[in-house]
Amino acid sequence: MIILQKKYEYKNHYKQIKEQDFLKQNIRNGSILSISQWRKTKHIIQDQKIDVAVEFSSNDCSLSDHDEISKAAMIQINFETFKDGRPFTFAKMLRRKHNFKGELRAAGHILPDQFVFLIRCGFDSVEIKEEDKDIWLELLEIDEGLYYQP
Amino acid sequence: MYKYSDTDKKIITSRVKQFENQVKRRLEGKLTEEEFKPLRLMNGLYLQLHAYMLRVAIPYGELSSKQLRKIAFIADKYDRGYGHFTTRQNIQFNWPKLLDVPEILRELSSVEMHAIQTSGNCIRNISSDHLAGLTLNEIEDPRPWCEIIRKWSTFHPEFSFLPRKFKIAVIGCTEDRAAMLVHDIGLRIVERKNQVGFEVFVGGGQGRTPIIAKRIRAFLPKKDILNYLEAILTTYNQEGRRDNIYKARIKILVKELGIEKFKSLVEENFSKLSNKELEIDDKNIEEIFGFFRLPPLKSNTNQIPFKKNQEYQNWIKQNVIPHKIQGYSIVQISLKAPKKPPGDATSNQMIALAEISEKFSFSEIRVTHEQNLVLPHVSNKELFNLWNRLKIENLATSNLGLITDTICCPGMDYCALATARSIPISQKISKHFDNYLQQKEIGDLKIKISGCINACGHHHVGNIGILGLDRKGQEFYQITLGGSAKEDATIGEIVGPSFSENNLIEAIEKILNTYKKHKRNKSEDFLTVFRRIGIKEFKKDLYDNFTKKV
Ligand code: HEM
Ligand code: SF4
Repeated sequence: MIILQKKYEYKNHYKQIKEQDFLKQNIRNGSILSISQWRKTKHIIQDQKIDVAVEFSSNDCSLSDHDEISKAAMIQINFETFKDGRPFTFAKMLRRKHNFKGELRAAGHILPDQFVFLIRCGFDSVEIKEEDKDIWLELLEIDEGLYYQP
Repeated sequence: MYKYSDTDKKIITSRVKQFENQVKRRLEGKLTEEEFKPLRLMNGLYLQLHAYMLRVAIPYGELSSKQLRKIAFIADKYDRGYGHFTTRQNIQFNWPKLLDVPEILRELSSVEMHAIQTSGNCIRNISSDHLAGLTLNEIEDPRPWCEIIRKWSTFHPEFSFLPRKFKIAVIGCTEDRAAMLVHDIGLRIVERKNQVGFEVFVGGGQGRTPIIAKRIRAFLPKKDILNYLEAILTTYNQEGRRDNIYKARIKILVKELGIEKFKSLVEENFSKLSNKELEIDDKNIEEIFGFFRLPPLKSNTNQIPFKKNQEYQNWIKQNVIPHKIQGYSIVQISLKAPKKPPGDATSNQMIALAEISEKFSFSEIRVTHEQNLVLPHVSNKELFNLWNRLKIENLATSNLGLITDTICCPGMDYCALATARSIPISQKISKHFDNYLQQKEIGDLKIKISGCINACGHHHVGNIGILGLDRKGQEFYQITLGGSAKEDATIGEIVGPSFSENNLIEAIEKILNTYKKHKRNKSEDFLTVFRRIGIKEFKKDLYDNFTKKV
């Protein structure tokens, strides 16, 4: 898998945290946490200034203000299916309501035809298969800049 | 009429390219059918019983003669020489080949047309009143607003993968000719304290759970319309059900939450997320309105020519209404000629109409949600000539608003979801009631026929609704009474056990007899009588002594 940020490709340096590491509160830079793990440890993470990611699924795109999600370094949303459009609205909410400024990444079942939509809703990057890179870039080029909404 | 800007042109052209790419990937196996489906649906392409079906948008029902010629050309070259006008101001082709579709879309784009968002779980073609801009009691022309909303909703990055399809209608006066109250969002332009704005309705729909939309805002200032629509869509996209396709429409969400709770969520999104850039300023509005000015009509005292020809007089009485500019008329063209599938037009008829509109109506044609057409600006003194010309093309049927002016879905003849045929039923009705005087005596009456519970033929809101069902491999027809799709929108009530095809006409006759029996005066129409006496009387007369076994 590769990460595509618009036209640029880079290697992923985030990894899901192992259950035993989490239990030992051994949270390192680059760990991916679930939202419940984040809720339990966000004070430590913030105190120690660790860069972690929080992961959501298209099925559970919800947050409260107490979650202080703007303090996470990265948020990854996993699409169960590309047909479920909730993450698009969730991305808007993260940016506009929860004031999240870090990297927002889409992963899971997404289509290259959705690239521009993702970017325009506030996503920065997508996780895709390496062999699909060309088609993602091709569709980005066809669509980019062509839209009506502000 | 609206003219594409450079941005419009670029967007439409790039969409054709994108779709071509998708078709290629599908054929190479790089997209599964499951993945391809929502993409093709967003370009109006369905897979049907016999073939693909392509649905082309006619935004707010407006066509130029040039566009109509192009449609005729496509019907001839890529289809079987006809097209089907639908109840949401679209036209469908029933036989295109997948490989031809990108080329068809390219042809359409050359006359500023497209098939974008005519199906799929996104915001569909915005529909409107076919008499927009033509009547005196209109507060404001709804078409510019449709255009503003069309742009905003096209390829909306956030709202292209909704729980289910989403339909919006906009009207500009009290009279509702667009079935606005059975839309996911209905907008009516209203005036309050010298300020023009929108009355907003939400959660209407047909299908298996018919619901009349509820009012969510009595007054919304114009400039806020897009922000308010975003607030509703945001709420729906987050909260709408995705676990069950039959419960996924916004009407179910509104029903489950209750309108008050739903409204509070929407208002919160509206106040927190509204975006200055989405506000529409007066300059913007003026610019769009510029596209929708009337052609240069000069008010005059020309009268409608009188001729000693009964057929012509019937047509004038039934199909022609006055234009807001004196001396002109609005001519309604029925696509419900006897023996013809309702809403179908052949390519020859379309070519003829294009030419007719150029000669008689400033090259403009409108499409109605009742599957008819309109020539919007005809000089009174030309009416007899026009009638003669229409008659040659079998386009002068005088039945507008009468019993044979049925709305009808494609049903079993074309549709993969059908449980029964519907076109043959409407043909039976038009054959049985073909006499104009007989129809006139029955008066205003809307029969609407669907071939299954999805209700594309609007049966729930027909004065008489007919729903085709399948019972152990045999077609049966359930009748509902008292529905209306107008400003007094009502869902019809089921009258009782359903009828076989052979008994259906007799059942309709009986229903009409009950109506005639209770009618107080010549002008009391079916719906008024139904509302006065209720369904019981109809039931009694219908089932107590049915001659054949039901
Ligand atoms: C032939 C292919 C067609 C298919 C597969 C199809 C499918 C459907 C389905 C599944 C629904 C129910 C949606 C729901 O309840 O959520 C529906 C509703 C509807 N369709 Fe169609 N349809 C077709 C053709 C048409 C045609 C020809 C018309 C117009 C004459 C039409 C107009 C409508 C309308 C007005 C509704 C009701 C709107 C509502 O659900 O609120 N459809 N269609
Ligand atoms: S009502 Fe049913 S049969 Fe008729 S077009 Fe719709 S889905 Fe097909």
